Formats: sequence, C-alpha cells, structure tokens
Amino acid sequence: MNDLANMHYEKGRSLWQDAFSRLKNNRLALLSFAVLLLMVLLALLTPWIAPYSYEEQNLNLGASPPSMAHWLGTDVFGRDQLTRILYGSRISLMVGFIATSVALCIGVLWGTIAGYVGGRLDAFMMRFVDILYALPFTIFIILLTVVFGRSLLLLFLAIGAVEWLTMARIVRGQVLSLKHQEFIEAAVAMGFSRWRIMLRHLAPNVIGPIIIYTTLTIPSVILLESFLSFLGLGIQPPQSSWGSLISYGVETMEEYPWLLIFPALSLSLTLFALNFLGDGLRDALDPRVSKD
Amino acid sequence: MLRIILQRLFTAIPVLFLVILVTFVLIRLAPGGPFDAERAVPAEVLENLNKRYKLNDPLPVQFFDYLSNLLRGDFGPSFKYPSRTVTEIINAGMPVTLELSVYALLVAVIFGIGAGVIAAMRPNTLQDYVPMSLAMLGICLPSFVLGPLLILFFAIGLEWLPVSGWGESPGDKILPAITLGAGYAAYIARLSRGGMLETLAQDYIRTARAKGLAEWRVVFVHALRGGLGPVVSFAGPAVAGLLSGSFVVETIYQIPGLGRFYLQGAFNRDYTMILGMTILFAFFIIVCNLLADIVQVWLNPRLRSLHGGKTA
Repeated sequence: MNDLANMHYEKGRSLWQDAFSRLKNNRLALLSFAVLLLMVLLALLTPWIAPYSYEEQNLNLGASPPSMAHWLGTDVFGRDQLTRILYGSRISLMVGFIATSVALCIGVLWGTIAGYVGGRLDAFMMRFVDILYALPFTIFIILLTVVFGRSLLLLFLAIGAVEWLTMARIVRGQVLSLKHQEFIEAAVAMGFSRWRIMLRHLAPNVIGPIIIYTTLTIPSVILLESFLSFLGLGIQPPQSSWGSLISYGVETMEEYPWLLIFPALSLSLTLFALNFLGDGLRDALDPRVSKD
Repeated sequence: MLRIILQRLFTAIPVLFLVILVTFVLIRLAPGGPFDAERAVPAEVLENLNKRYKLNDPLPVQFFDYLSNLLRGDFGPSFKYPSRTVTEIINAGMPVTLELSVYALLVAVIFGIGAGVIAAMRPNTLQDYVPMSLAMLGICLPSFVLGPLLILFFAIGLEWLPVSGWGESPGDKILPAITLGAGYAAYIARLSRGGMLETLAQDYIRTARAKGLAEWRVVFVHALRGGLGPVVSFAGPAVAGLLSGSFVVETIYQIPGLGRFYLQGAFNRDYTMILGMTILFAFFIIVCNLLADIVQVWLNPRLRSLHGGKTA
C-alpha cells in the first residue's frame, strides 16, 4: 500500500524536481558546480582575501618560484601571482557573465519574437541570423577594437553581440513548438497582449533550454575574451585577465614556467567546470537529447 | 542538385557585398587616420597623402573605387608600408596560412572522426569514455594554452621538435598543426560520436548486420556516410575558427602567415590591410559554408527535396 501511495506522489513531481534529482546523481556536474561557486566566491572576495597588493612591485625579489610566502610564485616585477590570478578571475568571470547576459537578452527576445510572430518577419529575422552565422566573428571583434579603441565596455557588447545567434535559434524552435498549444490559445482568448503572452507565458516555458545554453555560452565567452587578451587586443594593462596573464606567461615560460602554468590551470579548470555543468544540466533538463 | 548550388550562390553574393560595405564603413568611422603617427606630419604632407590615397573623395565614390579594384584582385596599397600593396602581403601570407589550416583540418578530421567512431562503437564503456574525456580536454584547453604547453614539453623539455618557425627545420610544422587542430578534433569527435550513435540505431544498419557483413564494413561503409552529417555542417564554422585560430598559432610559433599581418595591421591601424583581409576571410568562410552545404546535400539525399523548393 505504502508503495502505491509513493508512486502516486512521484507522478506529481514537477519538471524541476525531476531535473534536480537527475542532476544530483551526476557527481561530475555537482563537483563542477561546487568548483564554480568557489571561483565566484573567491573572485567576489578578492579585495579582502588577496594576500598582497595587486600592483605593488618588489624588484629585489623578481620572478620567484612558488614558496610559502608566495604560494604561486611571483612575476618578473616581484608581484604575487596568486593575487594577480585572483584579480584576473574577477575580469574573466565578469566578462563571462555580463557578455553572456547581453547575448541572452538579445537572443531570447529575437527568438521569441521571430517564433511567435512568424510569417515574413520570422523568415527575415532568421535569414539575418543565418547571414551573421556565416561571418568571421573573431575578426569582426578585432575590427571593432581597432575602430572604437580597446575598452572593457566594448568588449562586453561586442562579445555579447556575436554570441546571441545560437540562443535565438534555440528559443525560436522552442517557441514554434509551444505556440499552438492550448494554454497559449487560452491566453489569446483572454485578450492578453502579444508582449504579455510572449514574456509571461512563452518565455518561462523555454527556460530549460535557455539555462542549458547559457551555461555553455559562458565558457565560450570567457574563451573569446582570453583569446583577445592573449593577442593584446582585450584587457589592457595595468588590468589583467587570465588571457593576458597567460600571454605574459608564454613570454617567459622557459625561465619561469609557473607564470604560464597557474593562469592556464585556472582558465582551463573554469572552462572544464562550466562545460561539465552544462552537459549535466542538458542531461537533467532535457533527457531526450543525448550528449551531442 | 545544380539548382541548389545556384540558389546558395545567389544568396552568398549579396552577403559578401554586405560584408564589404559594412567593413568599409566601419573602417572609415574609426577615429584617427592612418597617418596619425607618433611624429606629427606637416599639414601639407598630410593633405598630399590624403590626396594620393583618395581619402578626400566622397565616401560612396571611394567605396565604388575600392569595389571595382577588388574585382580586379587589387586590394589597394598598404597605408603603413607604402612600398608594398595589400595584395602582395596577402600573396605572401596566404599560402602559409592555408597550408597550416589544411594540416590542422587533417589533424582534426582524422583524430576527430577516428575517436568519435571508436567511441560510438561501444557506448558507455571504457572505449567510449577514454576518447570522449580526451575530447573534453581538447575543448577546454584553448590553443593559446595548448601551444605553449606543447612547446614546453616537446620542444624545450624533450627537444624532439623545434620551438618555432615554419619550413625552416624538419618537423617544425607538426606542433602548429596539432595546436590549431586539437580543439576541432575534439568537437568533431563529439559530433561524429553523436551522429554515429544515431545512425547505428537505424533499421538499415540492422539489415546490414543481419546480412552477416563484417562489423567494420557496417561501421565504415554503411553507417559512416549517414553519421557524418553533423560533422559536415560543422565544417563551415570550423574553417572560420581555423582561420581566426591561426592568429594565435602564428603568433606563438612565429609563423609568417596572414594572421600575423592582420594583427600587425590592427595594432598599426593599417586600414587597407584590415579591410582587405577581413573581406578575404569573409570570402573564404562564405565559400566554405557553401561547400559544406553542398556536400551535406550530396551526403543526405533527403535534404534535396527539403531544400529544393524553399529559398532558404
């Protein structure tokens, strides 16, 4: 009898409870989530927990390997590397989150409108996305940095502006499949405005794929920023991100390999965690879709 | 088939035109002219320079001048190196970058498809986990991390291969090709695993097996053609990525390719150089997308009827 009662309750579980229970069994995804949480926490608390000052140079010390005083060693100016990596993580993660939010806003809005309104507007909007897909983005971003100068704000906007395309496609597909369901018809019958239906009724139902894809967009944004900073076109000194730290590290990697290894490790670890979490969320929220 | 090719061609040409227009306008919007050097140039000299490069003409005139020169394969003079034209620089750099990209693509396709097929043959076993974990590693190790690490181990540590250069000492092309290709090998491995898993579950594969064909024949002859669809559609974006990825690899290994020149152009504000190369890259990418589309339709005949009637 007891079993039967339990089964009855299980039928009533929401998508979210279901997803959460699946995610709970994915140890790799949970570990990734913990790593990310730690990273974000460290980045937020950096000004209080950083062991040394960010810019203070100690030329007598120079580049020193990891030691008790400087856990991750120091760079050629005698600056503590742990401190610099912590500050770098603030920039890298901030770019990751802000540029992804930009991409998220444009993509969701674009996809919802195209999918819901449909017809000619849809054809036009998606054709536009197709065209942008076929263009060399990285090269365009470099072009933009040449035209407008190298500023952090531009970096956010430029990266966000190129990363929204896949989001728009995914959201449009979802909206198309939801559009003709009864609850939308009901909302239309109740006389709600198009905007209200799009934002209040459609968007929440598309949230699963959006979350999955957002988790997977963040690493590609962080990667793009590091790529630009590595080339010297992203973050400018005295600020530094993981990409520019790696770029300095490469210059002196023969003599001081720790200056390359630790920033590279931080970046790769973050990318790993985000990708594993994204995969885990995909398996949890949308069990129909296998890994790729 | 011919109709599809023509259709794609007709959409590609306006896109290319649009790219040229947007790039041209953007470059002209840029603050600071190409002759704003560290040393102030006398006003008369500046005027002469502007005249020589026709910077005083109205913008539409400049644009159509540029366009008609482009059609003749003339990218104009470099603003920074007056003795060399952009066309010359492109001619010098392009073979190098193309060679590098082709090697990287070979690395990506051979290792990627190989790993994907091996993984898909026995899903959720060690034979699946090992290549797929390597693929995850490839995705999370960007080229600007992988490259220096490879140099550190194979060139400086073990001294097996040269640290940098291109075509100067034996084996100096191996590390750049791996550095550029690894990330794409990883993506291709994941895509081909997914595609193969889907195809291997189809009825016609069961039929092939029921006929008593050898497993390798089923996998490589019957399934591979269907399973590679996702990989082929990735090829277009992959080439775009390879070209921009070559910027980093060329910088790390000091290879005299297009990427190095493009970056120099970006730092020097060499407008014609950036303009010409952006257009060239866009052209490559559009052509590759076109080819990928065509190959995909050829591989999967069902798409022919799907796309035949539509403009998309």
